[in-house]
Amino acid sequence: MKLEIKEVTKTFKAKTAVNNFSMVVETGQCVGLIGPNGAGKSTLIKIIADILYAEKGEVLLDGKKISTMKKEIGYLPQYPDFFHWMTATETLFFMGQLSGITKQELMEEVPAILTKVGLINEQHEKVQTFSGGMKQRLGIAQTLLHKPSFIVMDEPVSALDPIGRREVLNLIQEIKHETTILLSTHILGDAEEICERFVIMKQGKKIEDTTLDKLTNNHQAVVHLELASHNMLWVQIIEKLPYVKNVEVLGKKAKITLDNIQQNKDRLIRDAMDNNMDIVKFEVGSSETLEDIFLKMVVSV
Amino acid sequence: MTSLYILTRKEYVQMFREFKILWLPLVFMFLGATQPVITYYLPSILAALGGNQGITIDPTMMQQDGAQVMAATLGSQFDQLGIMVIAIAIMGIIQSDKANGMLDFILTRPVKVGSYIGGKLFSNFSFVALSVTFGYFVSYVYVNFLFSNIPFLTMILALGFYLVWVLFMISFTAMISTIFNGQGVIALISIVCLLLLKVISGLHPIIDLVNPAGMSQQAMMVLITGSMDSQLYGNMVITFIWITLTVTISHYWISEKKYHEN
Repeated sequence: MKLEIKEVTKTFKAKTAVNNFSMVVETGQCVGLIGPNGAGKSTLIKIIADILYAEKGEVLLDGKKISTMKKEIGYLPQYPDFFHWMTATETLFFMGQLSGITKQELMEEVPAILTKVGLINEQHEKVQTFSGGMKQRLGIAQTLLHKPSFIVMDEPVSALDPIGRREVLNLIQEIKHETTILLSTHILGDAEEICERFVIMKQGKKIEDTTLDKLTNNHQAVVHLELASHNMLWVQIIEKLPYVKNVEVLGKKAKITLDNIQQNKDRLIRDAMDNNMDIVKFEVGSSETLEDIFLKMVVSV
Repeated sequence: MTSLYILTRKEYVQMFREFKILWLPLVFMFLGATQPVITYYLPSILAALGGNQGITIDPTMMQQDGAQVMAATLGSQFDQLGIMVIAIAIMGIIQSDKANGMLDFILTRPVKVGSYIGGKLFSNFSFVALSVTFGYFVSYVYVNFLFSNIPFLTMILALGFYLVWVLFMISFTAMISTIFNGQGVIALISIVCLLLLKVISGLHPIIDLVNPAGMSQQAMMVLITGSMDSQLYGNMVITFIWITLTVTISHYWISEKKYHEN
């Protein structure tokens, strides 16, 4: 389903959390909303989920106001918490029934979805005993339960340990093919892994709306080289080579800019072999990672 | 199944799991028994413990009749400790949902704010009313046993009027619970306001007319005199207006998402 955010503005007392923000998310897209802490990501997500009202502007799902389309939205808050006295199954039954799913359907759906999120063995345990990662997974289960066509997630993995993070990321990868997803994060690696499109936010404003391909194509390719020893003498010598434009050395690593990289990267590696350099890594890639680009944008704009 | 039904049932299940279903009726049964038992045995207790220095029990003291003791159960037990117990029992009614984010979750579902508040008030009122009724009946049994009999109809009528005041206590506490975020603050404001209303009742007929606590006064009057006060219906209508107002404010506060902003 197509989501349209039109000129949304939200102010808290003196602070403008979201400032005239517009964007369109097409069906099947996975969009990462990235920005530093306090950029207004959570506020925007809450407005999309119809938890907060926007002062100005509107959010439309398939051309209809979001408040009339609640059955089509799945929402995962930053720290999902449930009634502590309910078990995982009871929680899903409760949330499912509120979404208008019948008991008979839930009898089949709930165990299936608990299996999917890996909580089937804890289905009769109280939420009280759950770890942060388990609550997050239960949160994802309740988001998927009513088969929404659009899912919004607020920092789905930021609060998790590496194992929980991996589990949740894999889960999102899986569901990505079935629905439209908008997720916020400040961990760029995660956004890079799941999403194709990025919207960068700063101080409530949209400062960039782009895809990973576009971002990396804008920047020239370079060679990232890592050597086993600290002996960087060779690196200093190659700076004099005619096809090498620039060398940046950082410890055992070097970032080498070449003239016409397709032709000259082989010459470079051959030269390194001839000089018996112990190469740990030789990689052709973008001169800037998403992180570099992000930092540059957020700090400079 | 409507969401009102689902939310109401969830409240009942929660009361079971948190043992509220056990302790609240017990507290009120205890409060109900206290008044008649203490009133009946106080002379004997004083005689046994007070010795004979300075204290004499007037042997000609008029024996209180059942209706007065029953009225004192409402006025001295339920309207004092009872108010505090009710306020504390339901101070988290909406605050706890705000605190753990369940309110947000529930409202991202196709659920009307009216169903949410309705479920909360219906379940909590029916349960507290039942607890109060238990306590009231315990008091009635003791009064009949230790003092004089009270006509059954009078007793039921008085209970009915008293429960209107209880309904106000609940809708008021629910409103405070919607607006404020700290449990302590909610309990304090609710208890102070409700006790204040109780204290000013009986001072002046005009104040009584617009005071929800006047319903408690009316209940006591019915018990003692056996007849209904002329102000009763006016008082009841105004109390229901207050109740509607508190519910409307809660509804407004949640549907306008005001609770996010402090």
